[in-house]
Amino acid sequence: MARVKNWQINREMDYPYSESRPKKQWSIIFDLNKCIACQTCSLACKTTWTSGKGQEYMFWNNVETKPYGSYPLAWDVKILERLGQQAWKAKEPYYGKTIFEAANANEVVAHFHPKDEDWMYPNVGEDDCAGNVPHGDHITLPHDKWFFYLPRTCAHCTYPACLASCPRKAIYKREEDGIVLIDQSRCKGYGECVRACPYKKSMYNTHTRVSEKCIGCFPAVEQGLQPMCVQNCIGKIRIMGFVNPPWKMRKNNPIDYLIHDQQIALPYYPQLGLEPNIYYIPPIHADREYLTQMFGPNVDQAIERYKKLKDDPVTQGLLVLMGSTDRIMHSFDVKDGIAYGYDEKGDEVVRVPVTEPFIERTAYDANIKSLRNNTP
Amino acid sequence: MKLKVLFLLLVLPAFSQAADLVAKKVKEEFNKVLDPYAAYWLQAPEVELSLMAQPMMKPKPEKTETSLMKVQVLHNGNYIAFRLRWKDTEKSEAGKLGEFSDAVALEFPVKSNENPPSVIMGGKGDPVHMFHWRAQYQYDEEHGKKDIKDIYPNLAVDTYHMDYPDNGNWQGATQDQKEAYMHGMAAGNPQSFAKRAVDEIMAEGFGSSAVRKDQDSFGKGEWKNGEWTVVISRALKRDKGSVLEEGKGSSVAFAVWQGGKDEVGSRKALTLYWTPLKVEGL
Ligand code: SF4
Ligand code: SF4
Repeated sequence: MARVKNWQINREMDYPYSESRPKKQWSIIFDLNKCIACQTCSLACKTTWTSGKGQEYMFWNNVETKPYGSYPLAWDVKILERLGQQAWKAKEPYYGKTIFEAANANEVVAHFHPKDEDWMYPNVGEDDCAGNVPHGDHITLPHDKWFFYLPRTCAHCTYPACLASCPRKAIYKREEDGIVLIDQSRCKGYGECVRACPYKKSMYNTHTRVSEKCIGCFPAVEQGLQPMCVQNCIGKIRIMGFVNPPWKMRKNNPIDYLIHDQQIALPYYPQLGLEPNIYYIPPIHADREYLTQMFGPNVDQAIERYKKLKDDPVTQGLLVLMGSTDRIMHSFDVKDGIAYGYDEKGDEVVRVPVTEPFIERTAYDANIKSLRNNTP
Repeated sequence: MKLKVLFLLLVLPAFSQAADLVAKKVKEEFNKVLDPYAAYWLQAPEVELSLMAQPMMKPKPEKTETSLMKVQVLHNGNYIAFRLRWKDTEKSEAGKLGEFSDAVALEFPVKSNENPPSVIMGGKGDPVHMFHWRAQYQYDEEHGKKDIKDIYPNLAVDTYHMDYPDNGNWQGATQDQKEAYMHGMAAGNPQSFAKRAVDEIMAEGFGSSAVRKDQDSFGKGEWKNGEWTVVISRALKRDKGSVLEEGKGSSVAFAVWQGGKDEVGSRKALTLYWTPLKVEGL
């Protein structure tokens, strides 16, 4: 065991390999206030990567309804149960155990092994509300009857449990972009990664008899393009880029800006200790205790800041850049009501108005001397 | 890790076995798939070996699932055959998600039969040669590799890429084109293709094992009344591998996996020592 720095829990922790951060770290931020569970992302991924034999059940990208949805079944409940009750006070490091530290003497991580049937209900709990809505009920904020959609990919963790647990060392993390891959020619299908990944994003292929996982769309990323699930997101809720650790953060990097500068995007289940690199802007309407369990004790602050966005043109500008280009934005700027995105070389790849111009269509069209009529 | 190895080496003599393995020479044909219950096995003395849960490398099994294995050996001057028996309450051939196969493996030193390397997967520059039988691989050999429809008969799929039903205007894709959508196959992983019952594997330490392309070995197992009986036969002399010589001694080690108890990879029971093996002359 080595001691490594995990900034998400703000302390050192045990990990089987020593700290070795990639040159760049692949990362996606999701704005959960905007996801509509259209599953376009899931299908974009499925048609690109998992349409072969043995992949029928696989969703490298999935979208589940919280609190009752989960794929595989109850993955989150089960891993939290294995971890046991732990405490984390706001503004303090997390002193509870990570899954590496909670492992018994025979294991690399505290884990559970999903059963075959656990994978067979990707849509379970969809749109199920956390409470009944009686007649005459009204809405308050946060809602007391709530649900939200949680889109997920592999988090290409800084400290991957899948990689740590593979006895064949068939899993590696790429130095150039931090993408975590299973070597398809060396894997022997032991399924240790399937057991170990707490997010259950490593999956066994019964036809090729080896394990597979989200590859971060590395062929696109290598060409400066965002992954398919990001490019195709209907709700424009996603942005993919590269996250730096806080001590190297660059304020004009869209990812660093939302995570480190504004601190409105948070990692999910950071207490598990993997330093996962998918980040979420938490939904303002959902139950705070639930959100605290999922995103850590800084969730209140993140939500309060998000609610004040109307007074913050820069962050607003960045949020409209999300979903506005297929290219990876390495930096951004907001000037005079226009948001600009730039690629790695600093060339502009997109510009969008922060607020779309308001156009009022009068009832009478003077050009053609006719009344506009919208009666069907 | 080094310290642990040293410790194990020091305590190992305490585990040494009652009897060494002796391969009697017989006039039987062994370069083929053998019958585990053939009458000639009656002439082979049986040695009982004790196994224990793999203790060195995480992840480890919670407990020793297989603690005893009965071993018999015969040879015919060109091939040597091992008959292995151990208790297992269920037959596991793998297939579905999260299901693993029953398996057994023989391990031999390569460089020196008298001074073998670490019994657990050999060491750098000092390889071991393994013969790995799996119930799943035997199924491949006897019936062909299970198709997804054999594993999940009720599975519904619209279509696979390059695998449309031919309605006259589609010429049909080559196997190569179809395999491009099956990543393990596209990468040429031997695991993804139909196997013979026994894999020959070379290793130079943890996580370094590689399947040999050439094979000169055979395997056949039968599960009856809560017990596996598996026979593995191999050529005495393997090129760039283990070489056994008539009239001389060598060493062998064993490992067993109970798939039904989630044993796979490093989760196995093994003999924590090399067992001396004598290949008798006439
Ligand atoms: S999310 Fe799971 S599969 Fe992906 S890198 Fe992390 S541990 Fe590995
Ligand atoms: S495409 Fe976007 S909006 Fe639709 S489900 Fe996926 S993340 Fe949500």
